Amino acid sequence: MPNPSSSTLQDADRACRVSSPTVLVVDDEPVTRLRLTARLTRLGYRVIEACDGKAGLELLRRARPDLTILDWMMPGLDGPTFCEEVRCDPAICASQILMMTGHDQPEQIAEGLARGADDFLSKAASTQEITARVQAGLRTATLIRALEQTTEDIRRKQDILEQELRSAAQYVASMLPVSGPLLPGVRMDSVYRPALTLGGDLFNVLPWNEHLLGLYLLDASGHGVSSALRSASLATFLREESLRHQVGSKDPGAILTAANQQFPLTDEGHYFTIVFARLDLRARTLIYATAGHQGAVLHHRSGAVTELTKPGLPLGFCVPHVYETTEIAVAPGDRLYLFSDGLYEVPGPNGELWGRVRLIEAMQALGHRPMADVIAGIVEQATRWLGHDRFPDDAAMVGIELGD
Amino acid sequence: MKIEERPVLNGVVLDITGDLTYANREVFTAAVEAVRRKGCRHLILNMAVVRFVDSSGLGLLALVSQQFKAAQGRVSLVNPQSYVLEIMSLANIAQLMAIYDTEQAAQAGSPQAA
Repeated sequence: MPNPSSSTLQDADRACRVSSPTVLVVDDEPVTRLRLTARLTRLGYRVIEACDGKAGLELLRRARPDLTILDWMMPGLDGPTFCEEVRCDPAICASQILMMTGHDQPEQIAEGLARGADDFLSKAASTQEITARVQAGLRTATLIRALEQTTEDIRRKQDILEQELRSAAQYVASMLPVSGPLLPGVRMDSVYRPALTLGGDLFNVLPWNEHLLGLYLLDASGHGVSSALRSASLATFLREESLRHQVGSKDPGAILTAANQQFPLTDEGHYFTIVFARLDLRARTLIYATAGHQGAVLHHRSGAVTELTKPGLPLGFCVPHVYETTEIAVAPGDRLYLFSDGLYEVPGPNGELWGRVRLIEAMQALGHRPMADVIAGIVEQATRWLGHDRFPDDAAMVGIELGD
Repeated sequence: MKIEERPVLNGVVLDITGDLTYANREVFTAAVEAVRRKGCRHLILNMAVVRFVDSSGLGLLALVSQQFKAAQGRVSLVNPQSYVLEIMSLANIAQLMAIYDTEQAAQAGSPQAA
């Protein structure tokens, strides 16, 4: 008797190289196996064979046939157990299996289907019935293969998109200033937590000269790629050279008035809120303007807090519109914090928001500690309120400390 | 979100139920667009049972206001709840569209301190 296991591996390799449907026949009875193989071959199928369940399973894993015709009763691994093993293996679990039996009792058919067979074929079946059932199994196999291919295509495209998103996120992160000394006697610390891979919040510090510092924090409505791109576009507008050409002034109100003209509402109603400030170390003044942004606080060395924001139109809501500049005195030891609403509009388990008031209370309570610890502590309290560390909106905070 | 359209003298009222948020933007936009296509000049948004407006919702309100102004029309807000009113106040929405206590006041066009 020929050894089916050795010859079938060659058959499997060959089968993999051709496009005709391949049928695996698993039966321990050589006569039955040879007769079925001959009938299937005459019907135009490529046939590979295994003489028992164990060899059949190995061949199924290696050759990935389009259809498996499986005997119920076999020594060692019987048909139903074969089916169960196939359904537990993610690599082959979608295989189409036609169980062959000499008995076609309803209870036996039900058990076979329950344990993983897709259809039944009587050993006494006519050529017409074999043809019909094999074709039905192959139709299903074709659909499953198409589905697997589509899933794989989607996964591959998803991988490419995610890689591009990661690259874009690296670019956005590269636009953010690095924590540490900015100018003599001025230090910056910050945190940036985008809700998705890419965020629409952005902040920056612009050391214009040795005693003049521009800084801003902007928040683009919406999330994801479009928000990040719009933020990058506004950040480009806010560069020193761009401001010199397009605004001709470093006055925060004039800058926001010009930005309002440049960045109208999008067709989807997207817009920016922003706070833009200019810190003059020589004059010890902070002048600033806000456009619908509520996160700007001056924490004095004394512990007192001055909220710098007031109700105002976000950029793009009303064109033309003149944004006003406000001036406030600053002193050594003062800390300026700019932050986005995503840092404090975080819901607790009952839906109640953590809120700006709690954020400012946390800022005051932690005020004796280094500024980096204050910011980290605020993020820690917000995430504790939230119950996890995934902010539902982009969250950003930047702190500027004036040394003695 | 559920929006029902109701014609009134010289305008259309949209009764909004639910949150005016990013997730509901398509429902809101479709309802407003249907009213605009009919040539309505005065859109009255009944906010009495709107519980929450997020940043996207604010943007949609501003967009609708601009669209109606461009067509010589106007948008009025009626009876926003206190939390929604606070959100809209921070963004100065009242500078873009009138806010009224009642639908009758909105139809009459006489601003009230909402």
